Amino acid sequence: MLGLPEDADAGTEAADDVRFDEASPVTGASRIEAAWTGQDDGSASVAGAGDASGHVFTQTYLPWSGTLNPRWARNWAVYRHHLAGLVRSGHRPWPVLVRLYLLLVLIGAAADMFPILLSSILGDGASIVSVFGVSRNSLYAHVLGFFPRNILYYPVVTALIVGTMISEDRLNGTSALYFSRPISRLDYVVMKYLAAASVLGLLCIGTLVLFYFAEVLAMGRGWAWVVDTFPLLMAAVAAGGLLVVTYTSLGLGLSSVSTNGYFPAIGLLALVLGTKSLAEIVGLLFEQDVLYLFSPYDALANVGQHLLGIESNYDLPWTWSLVSVVAMNAVALYVLAGRVASMEVTRE
Amino acid sequence: MYPQDVTDARPAVVETSGLTKAYGSHVALDGLDLRIEAGATGLLGANGAGKSTLLKTLLGLVQVSAGEGKVLGLDIRTDGPSIRQRIGYMPEYEALDPRMDGIHQVRYAGELLGMNPTVAMGRAHQALEYVGLGEQRYRPISSYSTGMRQATKLACAIIHDPELIIADEPSNGLDAASRDFMLQTLDTTVRNGQRSVLMASHLMDDVEQVCERIVLLHKGRLVAQGRIEDLKAIDREYEVHVWGAADAMATGLADRGLHVRREGRVMRVAQERDGIPTEILEVAAETGAQVRRLHMYEASLEDLFIAIMERLGHDVKSSDDLYANAPKGGAGPA
Repeated sequence: MLGLPEDADAGTEAADDVRFDEASPVTGASRIEAAWTGQDDGSASVAGAGDASGHVFTQTYLPWSGTLNPRWARNWAVYRHHLAGLVRSGHRPWPVLVRLYLLLVLIGAAADMFPILLSSILGDGASIVSVFGVSRNSLYAHVLGFFPRNILYYPVVTALIVGTMISEDRLNGTSALYFSRPISRLDYVVMKYLAAASVLGLLCIGTLVLFYFAEVLAMGRGWAWVVDTFPLLMAAVAAGGLLVVTYTSLGLGLSSVSTNGYFPAIGLLALVLGTKSLAEIVGLLFEQDVLYLFSPYDALANVGQHLLGIESNYDLPWTWSLVSVVAMNAVALYVLAGRVASMEVTRE
Repeated sequence: MYPQDVTDARPAVVETSGLTKAYGSHVALDGLDLRIEAGATGLLGANGAGKSTLLKTLLGLVQVSAGEGKVLGLDIRTDGPSIRQRIGYMPEYEALDPRMDGIHQVRYAGELLGMNPTVAMGRAHQALEYVGLGEQRYRPISSYSTGMRQATKLACAIIHDPELIIADEPSNGLDAASRDFMLQTLDTTVRNGQRSVLMASHLMDDVEQVCERIVLLHKGRLVAQGRIEDLKAIDREYEVHVWGAADAMATGLADRGLHVRREGRVMRVAQERDGIPTEILEVAAETGAQVRRLHMYEASLEDLFIAIMERLGHDVKSSDDLYANAPKGGAGPA
């Protein structure tokens, strides 16, 4: 008999009876017996494969009696879903190139910390730190320096992150997944906003704080230095906060009016870099500065220069730029709110 | 309006009174008085009948213009989030991220309801196994067939074991095998899981296969609600298969004041009074037609829908019109 479990057991027992040691003659018979589990009566059997019964699908409804967490847990789920996907699978999938670019930007954004660490290692602190260390200009440059940070880093990161943040919900219909659950439109948009702002905030403000404290630790700065420079750090954080909020608002506003990721991404880059280029050209040709008010970067830079107390590059009052920044955010959020309110559950 | 029985009334999962929703001058829902009991109920209606608006209203997503309503005892005007936490909604259209795995999509749907991530993952496994995707749960949704996507949406809807599942066109775009499985799954959810299903569909066969009751909307108005069997009683017919002299027999039946629908040698005679079989045989004898078969016609839901719509025409003035035009042999209102 073949293939029955009891046969297999019998075969194993028979094989156990066959011994191989140095004294055993090499006849070949034992090997055959071992292979075929030979019996004295001349019959043979082989070990059968295991029981090959298939999986029978039985559909049984399983009840669940757990507890559903309140609003904060649902909101945390939305926030976590978008952020955790950058580093783990099982959450919102981000393209590999986006994740790679974020890593490069993280390294690039934190690069101003490296000369300080280098000077600490070399022991020649004063000369390098006097150039690259914490100062009004270096803090400003970390947040609002145009090249490379506001060409290659922050606007591009914002474009990559927010481009598909809402537009993909329109495209895939996943807005129904949110709004047919106890997620309000306010919670939905705020959590997405915070998720996008967190990424940009980490890259811009997180590395700024890292830069500051790198000097404190590496150069052994005392309390007097900290007290002296901390207001500058706070001013830079405020300028960075304005940048993060403005870029995120503009990006999400554009994302909400589209069903693909390219329009918001390209639109944001065109808005930030295009308006700056245009204002620059008009300023040079016609000596008219008013267009700088319509450039998000220049408006932020004018306000940032005032906050950090460095000499302004602009002839416009910083308050006008601040009003411009507020207006840009207001318009972007108005568009965002209107478009999210129009997202459907039953049909998009 | 056609009736619903009150003899074996079960607890209502949805109740509305004078529910009205208007978008400007367009009235999408016009004074609906609904009572949907526990179990499986089909929501029927042509495009523009108000099905989607009703579902959004029941989900607490749109403000009603007038009237009131309750879902699972919760007020649709003020308890929207609580309602959406206690029901499972399966949308008609694509609502899945194609780049995610099935298991993680369903887990995320659970987290959006407030489930702990670990618990949600455990339930996602169970839900996907239940809808027949146990072996495919780690595949990206982009690789799923339409049937598998529909099943995933159902898994998202039932992950928290809701008391009421609202399935919007659950068999939309499915082939025969997937459709049967989807309907069987919904049926099992009702019978085995003791859960209620409100199934919006324009496919009468699907509704008939799963649902015991229907709600029929037309141009925002409630046309009929109740048990399918009771509603079918309004349009009872005898089906007669004849051989020879069919024209004469049809004329003879019509001369006796009977309402006859004829298709070749098969004719259906409305049961408008008692003694119809005797009259049919008498007419057959008079006209020389051979009656090969005579039986009570088992009307389908499709027949019922058509019959109701024929009687209403395209202009529903009030739900009472339907009853007023109903044949005398049919069931009256409760």
